[in-house]
Amino acid sequence: MRTKLSIVLAAGTAILLTGCAKKEEPARTEEAAPAAAPTAAAPVVDPATAATITGKVLFTGTKPVMRPISMDAVPACSRQHPTPPRSEEVVVNDNGTLRNVFVWVKAGLPDTQWPTPSEPVTLDQHTCIYKPRVIGVMTNQPIRILNSDPTNHNIHPLPKINREWNESQPPGGEPKIKSFARQEIMIPVKCNVHPWMRAYIGVVSHPFFSVTGADGTFTIKGLPPGEYTIEAWHERYGTQELKVAVGPKETKTADFTYKG
Amino acid sequence: MKPEDLDKDPIVDSSLSRPLLISSALLVLSLAWALYDEIYAMRPWKSYQKRFRETYATFLNNLIPNQAEMERRIKASPEYQALDRAMREAEQRVLADVRRIDEEINRKLTPQIMVLNEKFQELRMEIGALTYELEVASSEPEKQRLRERIARVKQREVTVALPEPDGSTRKVRYTFEQMDRDLRQWKDRKAALLQRRVELMAPAEELRRKRDQYLADRIPEVSSTVLAGLRRKLENFPIEIRQIHVRDVDLVDRCESCHLGIREPVVLTKAAMGGEAAFTSHPNRELLRIHDPERFGCTPCHNGNGIALTSVTKAHGYYKHWLWPLYKRENFEAGCQQCHAGEIITEMADTLNQGRELFRLRGCYGCHRYEGFDRDTEELAAVRQEIRQLEQQRAEFERQIQFTIEKGDRAQDNAEAQRLYQHADNLKLRISSINARIEQLDIRSRNLLREVKKIGPSLKEVRMKLRPEWLPVWIKDPHQYRPGTKMPTFRLDDEEVRAIAAFIWQSGVTGQLEKQPLGDPVRGKESFETRGCLGCHSIGEGAEQIGGTFAANLSRVGEKVNYDYLVRWIHDPRKRTLPYCPLERRDLTEEDYRKKGLPFVFDFENSRCPNDGHELVVQQMTPMPSLRLTLEESRDIASYLMTRRREGLTYAPAPYLEDPKLKARGEFLVRFYGCAGCHEIKGLEEEQRVGTELTHEGSKPIDRLDFALLTQKAKKEGWYNHKGFFERKLKDPAIFDLGKEKPDKLERLKMPNFHLTKQEIDALTTFLLGSVESTLPPRYFYNPTGAKRDIVEGWWIVRKYNCMGCHQMMVGQKTVFDTLPRYQEPDWKEQKPPSLIGEGARVNPEWLMKFLANPAMSATDTNRNGVRPYLRARMPTFYFSDGEIQKLVRFFEALSSQAQPYIPPRLETLTERERLMARQLFTSEGAPCLSCHATGDPAHDRRATAPNFLLAKERLKPGWTRRWLLDPAMIMPGTAMPSGLFTRQGDRWIFAGPLPPSFQGYEKDHADLLVRYMFQFTPDELSRLRAAGGSAVRGNAIAMNQRTR
Repeated sequence: MRTKLSIVLAAGTAILLTGCAKKEEPARTEEAAPAAAPTAAAPVVDPATAATITGKVLFTGTKPVMRPISMDAVPACSRQHPTPPRSEEVVVNDNGTLRNVFVWVKAGLPDTQWPTPSEPVTLDQHTCIYKPRVIGVMTNQPIRILNSDPTNHNIHPLPKINREWNESQPPGGEPKIKSFARQEIMIPVKCNVHPWMRAYIGVVSHPFFSVTGADGTFTIKGLPPGEYTIEAWHERYGTQELKVAVGPKETKTADFTYKG
Repeated sequence: MKPEDLDKDPIVDSSLSRPLLISSALLVLSLAWALYDEIYAMRPWKSYQKRFRETYATFLNNLIPNQAEMERRIKASPEYQALDRAMREAEQRVLADVRRIDEEINRKLTPQIMVLNEKFQELRMEIGALTYELEVASSEPEKQRLRERIARVKQREVTVALPEPDGSTRKVRYTFEQMDRDLRQWKDRKAALLQRRVELMAPAEELRRKRDQYLADRIPEVSSTVLAGLRRKLENFPIEIRQIHVRDVDLVDRCESCHLGIREPVVLTKAAMGGEAAFTSHPNRELLRIHDPERFGCTPCHNGNGIALTSVTKAHGYYKHWLWPLYKRENFEAGCQQCHAGEIITEMADTLNQGRELFRLRGCYGCHRYEGFDRDTEELAAVRQEIRQLEQQRAEFERQIQFTIEKGDRAQDNAEAQRLYQHADNLKLRISSINARIEQLDIRSRNLLREVKKIGPSLKEVRMKLRPEWLPVWIKDPHQYRPGTKMPTFRLDDEEVRAIAAFIWQSGVTGQLEKQPLGDPVRGKESFETRGCLGCHSIGEGAEQIGGTFAANLSRVGEKVNYDYLVRWIHDPRKRTLPYCPLERRDLTEEDYRKKGLPFVFDFENSRCPNDGHELVVQQMTPMPSLRLTLEESRDIASYLMTRRREGLTYAPAPYLEDPKLKARGEFLVRFYGCAGCHEIKGLEEEQRVGTELTHEGSKPIDRLDFALLTQKAKKEGWYNHKGFFERKLKDPAIFDLGKEKPDKLERLKMPNFHLTKQEIDALTTFLLGSVESTLPPRYFYNPTGAKRDIVEGWWIVRKYNCMGCHQMMVGQKTVFDTLPRYQEPDWKEQKPPSLIGEGARVNPEWLMKFLANPAMSATDTNRNGVRPYLRARMPTFYFSDGEIQKLVRFFEALSSQAQPYIPPRLETLTERERLMARQLFTSEGAPCLSCHATGDPAHDRRATAPNFLLAKERLKPGWTRRWLLDPAMIMPGTAMPSGLFTRQGDRWIFAGPLPPSFQGYEKDHADLLVRYMFQFTPDELSRLRAAGGSAVRGNAIAMNQRTR
């Protein structure tokens, strides 16, 4: 009896051990496998009743003066800027709105598995600045990272929940396809070689998010009717929440205001 | 007599049938009872086994289809299919050849060999028998006759019917020699064919292995085949006692009669096993692998009564007559301690480690002896003892030499004289070995004097350090002023507090303190939070508290301390006002030096007593290191700390501190309560411990633990055991005085209250429960030698100086920096002190030795980090003794499985072309090396975030450097150094970015090239690198120009 048990144990261990043996897998990281995830038939919001939340992020008070970035140490970067670029930490648009605010539905959605878009979101490294500075993706949605500069960059996201990584990307290197598996607002991204570079990635477990652009507006479309808490996030000014209820096919406006 | 009476003859008439009936009924009943007991009541394990069989079968039945489905999916994947196809194709290719081989072997060679071999063996045996007779024959004619017979047998022709592949037989006539020849040939042929078959099949086998590996890699647990095997095994699941019998200990553990899932290869949780906790698999398989139950059993680790099976309570040993009850969940690591005593850190025993560390850090061993905890003091005594013995031995040898030579001079003959002279010379050689040993021990004893630390601060300096009115408040209840402090609360009344305070105050030394101007508290706060103070100290109260718990919480330090002293302390914590001479047992004063005409200087270079040459204590006996801060920065930090006080709080003046009448009473109390166990106190430097020894407290007979008036209560409530005693005593050390009439306060229990949390009590209880005088045989104990011993020793130093406050040294361990809010920010994350996991594989031990002695790596420029000047946090100077450095270096080497001593591998010399290539790569736009790594150029290094390449040659090991280049995240997850700098091309690594043209046609490994370049890097090469003008370096020049403009 005991010998049998130990044989099974040994066999089990052997199988486990071989299972643990490292295997080389060229050019495929586990983050980069969203396609393999089963795209289960998720409940799609009925387009006939889908609602929309839209709004502006207003900025009041004095516009902070953003310091110029000195890229002198890296000619490959400074060459691309006739005048030193300014930090984009706070960008107030001409119409008095705030750019690079991440707005997402924080609560109120039905608890369900939303389909992940296979379309990647691009994060470009151009003129030694991340473009765009703030992006949103769904969990497991591919992020396509480009290096359009004549210099080497490294992409170093510093998540608190997701897995951290730090990879080099040479000039003219292949685009990197990456993704994050867990919801996280927000993941800062930095480049260790060019310390001024900074981007933020919002990873959301559903598709209802938006980032304000040059007009300071955001739009979240295709929502099932219901009551929602939406949150705005800004890297310097922090987060704000609003409660919004939308009926079928309704479009509601919700404006956030940040004070400088 | 009536006739009836006669009839009633008792023998005839009285019937025994009733008693018989009753007794047989009783017999039947007791038989039934016995059977019931046998089958059911006394055999509760039977029902466990039945339930296990059912639950486990259900569990497996549910699991197998899922597992099979998962495997089916994997097998359907194109990758698997491709591997499978490749394997089959490879098989197909050789199929014809393999068939031919099999055909020949199975149908021809094997049967023929068998048949022929049979006949051959017959003849051989006959010859063997004759040969034996020949050997034992006595007469020559007899021998001759036998020889002839043997020859005849060898010549005899035998007909053998050899089977042919087509089924026919072929008759062949054989002599013995012919048979031998054919057999040999056929066997060789068979072996050759088999070898050929293996060769043919090798590619297919390799592919099969790859295919199966692909499957195994994708199955998280065990395969469905194994599961099916387990399931089949359950079909024949005997209901029987399952026991481990370890013969040499005569240990019988039947635990697995109920804990049936413990060693199953699948993970069985309570929920999966129908809520039955007894059926779960062992939660830590790694532990089981190290401690194979067949060799160790269960109860040596877990306690409990391994033989008992009649009830759960009995088996677990939770009854009066079993001395070693099963450890409860919160204490189960106590089992580790009995064999791992002598370790301060045992892997996978976090609770026990915490208990040991509390015992050490909170100063329990200041009052209670515990073997192995007061290491430095004990070693010091042992070393001195050994020196004395060796000196005696030497004197004895010297005497013998004298006698032997004299004897030789008078010897009868030259040979005898020679022998005696030789003996004398041999003794001389042995003396010189003794001298060498004494020299080492002398160094060690001087080292040890430096290594001995005190748990609490020196009380000799109170007059210079403290505000007098604070002292009695603190002594009265330290936890009131500073919750969680190491200093416990003693049961003192005001009279005692005053006396103790007065004695301490009056026994303090006086000295000169430099008057310090105020610093900038804002800058000081920044320094305090980033230089590394928080690695040991905490600040902020309640939920606001941040930092480490190794040293004091400094939230209210401004209320107690003298600013000038604080500046001195921060600037040089080891600075001592007066040196202490252990021989004279007193602090020396300037007067002692003046009398001998010596300057009043005492430090490690001037550490001899001017009076008697004895080694002095020249430093404060604190583990607090020097951060090598400037006086200015020390003032800033001190000024910040002085602001840390509760506003509006006033302390009552304490004029009695100077009252000489209180001193004697105070001294008595200080001795009585054992204050000198933790503090250095003038006149009490050599005090003995006041508490009981705890080395074997866990196995002390229960009646020797004094439950006092609570004995009955404890028995009634079920805590009359070691665990119950320890937990209650630790929670409230005075508890066993309850209800006692003790008019003399000095008769009361004197153990003070440490205000331990529940978790801390559990950890300490675990440690104490495991502190037993073991009855196990020696092979159970972990008594490592060599490298493993170095690891055990090293952890003690790591704990002593709290290296883990700043550095990660154990997989899974968090540092204080990992918990500080500031260091969660992206830019501060990389400001954390480096992880030291794998340090031994990374650095050259010679270098490490120098670095540990002087982390600034410079004799003059000390206000910096030697390796990482860009880190705000400072690697402090610990003033390690040579012995500590040796232990630490060996520890790091051993942890990384490095051979000792280290012999650097010889690296191929760079050719001129290679040097040029590497230089061009370093300076190209595509390679970011010099953007982050320091170059020694101050303008560039202001932005640098990685060490200087010039350090590599002396500091690093080439093998590690190569692994680091290829994938730094593998060695240090989260590092600023990016991965993916190289890609694999065939069997070499090439740089992943654009390559300078000089790389054209270069066939070697690029990572190797860079490693060799770094290990042959010179200051000259650095200037050539600058001249070559890479982006980073050129940028640097621009930056410098701008600055000069």
